[in-house]
Amino acid sequence: MPYVRWSLKGSAEAAEVCFMCGVCCAVPEYGCPAQYGSRFTPRHTYVYDCLAAERPSSNPSIWLCVSCHKCEELCPYEVSPIRFIETMKQVALEEGAAPDPATAEIEQVVNTGYAFPVTPNTARHREELGLEPIQPTGELKRIAEATGLRGPVR
Amino acid sequence: MRYSFFRGCFIPVRFPHIEKVAEMTLPRLGVELVPVEGFTCCPEPIGVTVNHPLAALAVSARNLALAEEQGHDIITLCNGCAYTLKQANEALKADGELRERVNSVLEEDGHRYRGTVEVHHFAPVLVDRVGLDRVEAAVERPLTGLKVASHTGCHILSPPDIMGFDDPRDPVKLDRMMEALGATPLDYAYKTQCCGWTLSNYGDRGDASRLLGDKLNAMRGAGADSVNVICPQCLAQLDTGQMLAARSLKLGFRLPALFYLQYLALAMGYSLEEAGCDRHRVRDQGFEEKLRRTLA
Repeated sequence: MPYVRWSLKGSAEAAEVCFMCGVCCAVPEYGCPAQYGSRFTPRHTYVYDCLAAERPSSNPSIWLCVSCHKCEELCPYEVSPIRFIETMKQVALEEGAAPDPATAEIEQVVNTGYAFPVTPNTARHREELGLEPIQPTGELKRIAEATGLRGPVR
Repeated sequence: MRYSFFRGCFIPVRFPHIEKVAEMTLPRLGVELVPVEGFTCCPEPIGVTVNHPLAALAVSARNLALAEEQGHDIITLCNGCAYTLKQANEALKADGELRERVNSVLEEDGHRYRGTVEVHHFAPVLVDRVGLDRVEAAVERPLTGLKVASHTGCHILSPPDIMGFDDPRDPVKLDRMMEALGATPLDYAYKTQCCGWTLSNYGDRGDASRLLGDKLNAMRGAGADSVNVICPQCLAQLDTGQMLAARSLKLGFRLPALFYLQYLALAMGYSLEEAGCDRHRVRDQGFEEKLRRTLA
């Protein structure tokens, strides 16, 4: 769980155990989906690219992780690459290095209470189906202030 | 069985027809969906929660507290919502210090997380609480002869100690759920592979399309008439994503993707239009004719 397990030190120590066996990214049928990225190969896998970068938090590859847990479940040495990669996303957000799609989504949630923009199409579609209209809410803004999320995003 | 109905974001905003079909079908199985004033985004796990766990935890705790105030367990229609809320609930229950930290944030708005409700995705509710025998008994027009490839999705399977729905390496519950409707479930390669939705948003759409193409080809190769999903992001990827992938990869077939509750609605006697199938991008005449013949 990101809230209790994902300490920077613990994640880095776990990542050091990785010895590039490549099992997590070896089999397309059930392995890491981000391995589909064209710059990754069986010798330089997606997971290795994330774990071995000089400054892992500014490596754009970390944002390809879909948190599917496949690497964690396949790793024969309990490295849990997902844990390291998710921790690096936290560090990147703190450093102001998160890419626009990530900060935009967080801003959308904080400012409206919904992760996806409510469009006129949404309103029309809901009305056709006889569903209540959606009311965006600013109630999460105070939570963002109180938990230190306001710094990294607008 | 009364539940606080956690509609989430993606379904009410992009796929209101899935919200509608849930309201049409679940109460007929004794699952009462009680609306809750003030629920927000769960928040979304991959773009929000992992990037700022403390803020996300407070938002989840606020949602859980609203359900506690109402007194019912939460039911969701989305793997992502179940993944976020179940993990937040377990983290808060296990750690008193974290609970107090989060409550000190919520108290200013008059909320307090206590840890008195559970979070359920609708699929485990049908399998474990309603029971598939009762689902089968509600079928008026069995989907006999329909060959369906089910895609369970990642976040209702992992981490298995918390999600606890099915085996992440060999999920079969959705197959049993389709059998209860009279359909024929199919096994196929790439069954546990991700839909690639997040990859298409944060990465390269071409890479996500190649992944999806491999998955769709495996489904088609196994003889599928259609796809079954239980998560709105998976639906978006297998429907809109398939339309885009079909163009770039020149796929020679169309494999309609339906949400499980749409199959349930069809089996309960609703039409394709009432089940909201006309709202999808990938439609196939052969599939729709086969369904109409089956349901006639």
